Amino acid sequence: MPNVNVLTICGSLRKGSFNGMVQRALPSLAPEGMALKPAPSFAEMPLYNADIQNSTGFPAPVNTLADAIRAADGVIFCTPEYNFGIPGGLKNAIDWVSRLPNQPFAGKPVALQSASPGPLGGGRVQYDMRRAMVFLDAFTLNKPEIFIGSCAGKFDEKTGELKDEPTRGFIKQQLAAFASYIAHVGRKG
Amino acid sequence: MADRSLDVLVICGSLRKGSYNAALARMLPGLAPAGLALRSAPSFADIPLYDADIQSANGFPAGATAWADAIRAADGLIIVSPEYNWSIPGGLKNAIDWVSRMKDQPFKDKPVALQSAAGGILGGARAQYHLRQSLTSIDAVLFGRPEVIVTFAPQKFDEKTLELKDATAIDLIKQQLAGFEKFVRRVAVKG
Repeated sequence: MPNVNVLTICGSLRKGSFNGMVQRALPSLAPEGMALKPAPSFAEMPLYNADIQNSTGFPAPVNTLADAIRAADGVIFCTPEYNFGIPGGLKNAIDWVSRLPNQPFAGKPVALQSASPGPLGGGRVQYDMRRAMVFLDAFTLNKPEIFIGSCAGKFDEKTGELKDEPTRGFIKQQLAAFASYIAHVGRKG
Repeated sequence: MADRSLDVLVICGSLRKGSYNAALARMLPGLAPAGLALRSAPSFADIPLYDADIQSANGFPAGATAWADAIRAADGLIIVSPEYNWSIPGGLKNAIDWVSRMKDQPFKDKPVALQSAAGGILGGARAQYHLRQSLTSIDAVLFGRPEVIVTFAPQKFDEKTLELKDATAIDLIKQQLAGFEKFVRRVAVKG
């Protein structure tokens, strides 16, 4: 398989985030030929305001994130669920880049993962993400879905390493499926 | 609460000055029944992006506390919001995410009505349904019908003054506000 570059975006900003732990586990679970790297942070983006866009243009971190998305062959989101929906900070980043000419998600293969301490593992946030991604013309991978429920016990308490074998297995399957999906639908040439 | 006028906070989901939703929010006092006193919520523009590490290190930001206090003090809320990418604007969702972490969580048992305006044929309906989903998670009490979904907004607001001039929309808003007054008086938690 040719080299595939995948950008990973974590929806949480806190250091001890379970979704950050998932994101960091991905390189060790990826198929041969898939390189994963974390996206530049969206932490410094102001809240979206069309008046800012019109007076001073797009903030630098918005362009940086968009460039990273454009340069990648695919994007994987690892995100918590906040109040049955997308974390406001992550949604704000999506709202900003959605306004760019050459909108970076258009035609981009996307896969979703979520971890949460509850039993659903962030199921609802993924369906919100799917809807937003439809509007942005992303190509979102269907299956397998990765919902890491009751996640607190699935990581090493000290190192934050993902140690739950069934979860590691599911993620390996998704990453392999994502590699095939990118080969199938990704931008050629 | 039976006789006194109700204090209703109006929250706009857009930050831009020329927002149709802000224009809609400004119309509401003129369309409200005598028993509703409407006021604008403090802006959420300066609330940082939610980060549990900020919360743990410095507590809640002043902007989030002011927003929550205004919500707590009100008898009910009307959220007037655009739809961004088929969902809730990130800035508004971020404000909700912050206050949802507070001990005396301000949305709990709070009557809420929703309105949206947008340029397209669905008028922001998808943002409203996502708001219903998120506000359910924080125990708000959501008003049902009539829904206020202002479609094809550029045709319905005056180009210069941004005044809502569409008679059908105006009538619907009056109905919703009248219905919301009864709803708030009925569902409010007695205290």
